[in-house]
Amino acid sequence: MNGVQNLSMSRREFLGTGAGALVLGFTLPACSRRAELSAEGGAMNAFISIAGDGRVTIRTPFIEMGQGTYTSIPMLFAEEMDIDMDSVRVEQAPHGPNYKVLFNDTMRFTGGSLSVRSGFERFRQVGATVRAMLMEAAATHWRVPVSELSTEPGYVVHARKDRRLPYGKLAALARTLEPPANVRLKNPGDFRLLGTSVPRTDAAEKSDGRAQFGIDFQRDGLLTAVVRQSPVFFAELKNVDKDAALQMPGVEAVEPVPNGIAAVADNYWHAKRAVDALSPEFDAGPHPEFSSDDYLERLRSRVDEKGIVAEEEGDVEIAFASAAKTVEAEYHTPFLAHATMEPMNCAALVKDGRCTVWAPNQGVDFVAGAAAQVTGLPLDAIDVRTPYLGGGFGRRFIPDYAIQAVTLANALQGRPIKVVWPREEDTQHDWYRPMTAAKYRAGLDDGGMLVALRVTTVGDGPNRRHAPQPMADTDLDESVVEGLLDQPYEIPNRRLEYVFEYAPPPIGYWRSVGNSHNAFFKESFIDEIAHATGQDPVEFRRRLLEKRPRVRKVLDTVAAMASWRATPWYGRDGRKRAMGVALHPAYDSIAAQVAEVSLDDAGRTQVHRVWCVVDCGFAVNPLNVTMQAESAIAYGLSAALMEQVRMEKGRAVNGNFDDYPILTAQRMPEVEVEIVNSGEKIGGIGELCTPPIAPAICNALHTLTGQRIRSLPVDSHRLS
Amino acid sequence: MSTMTINGKTFDVTVEDNMPLLWFIRDVAGMSGTKFGCGKGLCGACTVHLDGQAVRSCITPIASARGKAVTTIEGISGNGQPHPLQRAWVEEQVPQCGYCQSGHIMTAAAFLKRNPDPTDEEIRNGVTNLCRCGTYLRIRAAIRRAARSMQEERT
Repeated sequence: MNGVQNLSMSRREFLGTGAGALVLGFTLPACSRRAELSAEGGAMNAFISIAGDGRVTIRTPFIEMGQGTYTSIPMLFAEEMDIDMDSVRVEQAPHGPNYKVLFNDTMRFTGGSLSVRSGFERFRQVGATVRAMLMEAAATHWRVPVSELSTEPGYVVHARKDRRLPYGKLAALARTLEPPANVRLKNPGDFRLLGTSVPRTDAAEKSDGRAQFGIDFQRDGLLTAVVRQSPVFFAELKNVDKDAALQMPGVEAVEPVPNGIAAVADNYWHAKRAVDALSPEFDAGPHPEFSSDDYLERLRSRVDEKGIVAEEEGDVEIAFASAAKTVEAEYHTPFLAHATMEPMNCAALVKDGRCTVWAPNQGVDFVAGAAAQVTGLPLDAIDVRTPYLGGGFGRRFIPDYAIQAVTLANALQGRPIKVVWPREEDTQHDWYRPMTAAKYRAGLDDGGMLVALRVTTVGDGPNRRHAPQPMADTDLDESVVEGLLDQPYEIPNRRLEYVFEYAPPPIGYWRSVGNSHNAFFKESFIDEIAHATGQDPVEFRRRLLEKRPRVRKVLDTVAAMASWRATPWYGRDGRKRAMGVALHPAYDSIAAQVAEVSLDDAGRTQVHRVWCVVDCGFAVNPLNVTMQAESAIAYGLSAALMEQVRMEKGRAVNGNFDDYPILTAQRMPEVEVEIVNSGEKIGGIGELCTPPIAPAICNALHTLTGQRIRSLPVDSHRLS
Repeated sequence: MSTMTINGKTFDVTVEDNMPLLWFIRDVAGMSGTKFGCGKGLCGACTVHLDGQAVRSCITPIASARGKAVTTIEGISGNGQPHPLQRAWVEEQVPQCGYCQSGHIMTAAAFLKRNPDPTDEEIRNGVTNLCRCGTYLRIRAAIRRAARSMQEERT
């Protein structure tokens, strides 16, 4: 095991999970976290500061990686505080206990589609509390009962005397007051902001080059480090001749880092040339012969084994014995890379007993903890700044790149050092979506109804190696089986089993995690049953959802939107076209999609249109829900059509976008999104729409061609 | 010694001939709006204009920029006001993570110079940069919107 792996393994608090089954707790009163007043003038509490000119700074515990939290999270505060979004500045909160807002206030990370839904009550409470304090301050100032006061955005209003005071003028007094214990939240009917489409707070700066990403970090005297990591996963550096590289222009140092070697120079280009001139020798590593093909065979060889029972109801054996018809199918999915557009990078400076880290990350406390461990400094000597992330998708939970930056900064103290990974390093040293295989078996009655379902899922999940206790040590890895369990279809007898097969490569959390493969298996199989019994795939699903009206409404809405067609037809271009449907609940939300496909002359899949319906209970920012649906569909479509990381001789074969192609504009379908606001408990949205797209396409391709795709990516199959 | 301009400002070019323009812009000139994505001219995040032509600066040696005028995202508007594409980018709410958007805008700007009234199909085939957030539909809408407003400004 190398250093990076050891560090991440030893820090169990590192990671959360995408698993939706965990209960979110809000045990602390909203404002128990009084900001230390010495820390910053105008601070009302840990989350909100009000400047004299009325501008409000909101410190958010959640990072912005494209998913829109720098708009949606401030909206929650702004609604109850009664301020305009124009007066809001968003700031990333520092690490530490004040901002651990997940899992009973033990953790902080951005992922699991948790940010808005976990903050929905709490951040509104914080906003309402601040508003109450401002009103109390105004009542004191005017010597009138607070019951005579109201607010308008940015002002406390005393209507009887036709006077008002801006929040900025009241802030100094208000923050000396004791926060009220109980504040009333608005009724949803009174929302002014929530439920409306609020434009992104970061759109302008992301359109003119001002937005600062981690890789943009600059300082006088900054050094850039380019790393060369062991191509074979987890092999150790044995030997390296540094001399030639050290003679090259601009090069200041050649230093080992966890998982490899770094050339440190005055700019990226000099560091890159120097690292290219190195011929580091690595040992064989723990799995020198690993190949993804072999691993796939191992997974597939175990689908008939008896696994750990993840979910069971009724008696599957009896039900199968008396079934009129049975259907069976095996599926599998490949390793996938996150391929964020901004490659992994991080800057760090160790100086005078302090360590500052500029890290694009999805968990600031994980970075701080790792920096403390590397430097031996206490946590309060560590400062982590989180800029915008040029994509995250789950990759930046794992701070291996930050550990390298701090390691170098610790070795070359006093110099700020920025580690930048070339694209090839990023692709070959990802923490991949694990490969998974599954076997599905259905027992049907003579009316074609599903009376028995037995599923065996074989693979490994990221929870085992990254999640906090006790999640990591349970035999049933939720990160593998989520999206398989708790499905809404009524199936009286079912047994869902999990067989663990250790995955030697680095694996991690990839947008929608276990849902990403389970939705493909499950929704493909439901479609297979519908076809095997001569039923319309939409009708068949409706029959299975008779007792679940909320879910059925999502399905019905998407079928209506798409003007659902169960059989192929010829489009205006003269090509045969077909539709496919898929439905998948996750993150307390529900998504259904219909995809329309054809094949081009080369037999390549063309996805023309995707209709998508989302029920996330309540859409805080419908614009952002729509944008996340579009994005999640594109991300899932990219994987479904063309992505797979192949591994041979213990290493990833793919390196750049030429051999790890991702979705281009040419293959982006038209997407129409509709939101159903059911008013149920609020759900997540950032990952929800990734899982259904693969089965929707493959189901459409089956209707189009008669060929059933049981493994991804689609482009690896010959279709006609 | 040779020189080049970036957004109208003159820079002495004293670095090695094969240094990619991208790294001169980012690490020598200190302008961070132009992004590094792949280093092989595959993703377009590094797109800038060289004498008005869109180039992928990560594979453009600095030697070929000597004596020429480079325009980056920071200089595209030229007059202190946002470029019509930048306005359209905000109006259509294009950016998500935002990392690839400078390159998209620079590619689109050069594209609209060649083709001021493009069809959807022409946009799809003419702007081939990568976006991992999948904002392609909004990018297309923004290019259409900018094309309209640029035509209105001309007439």
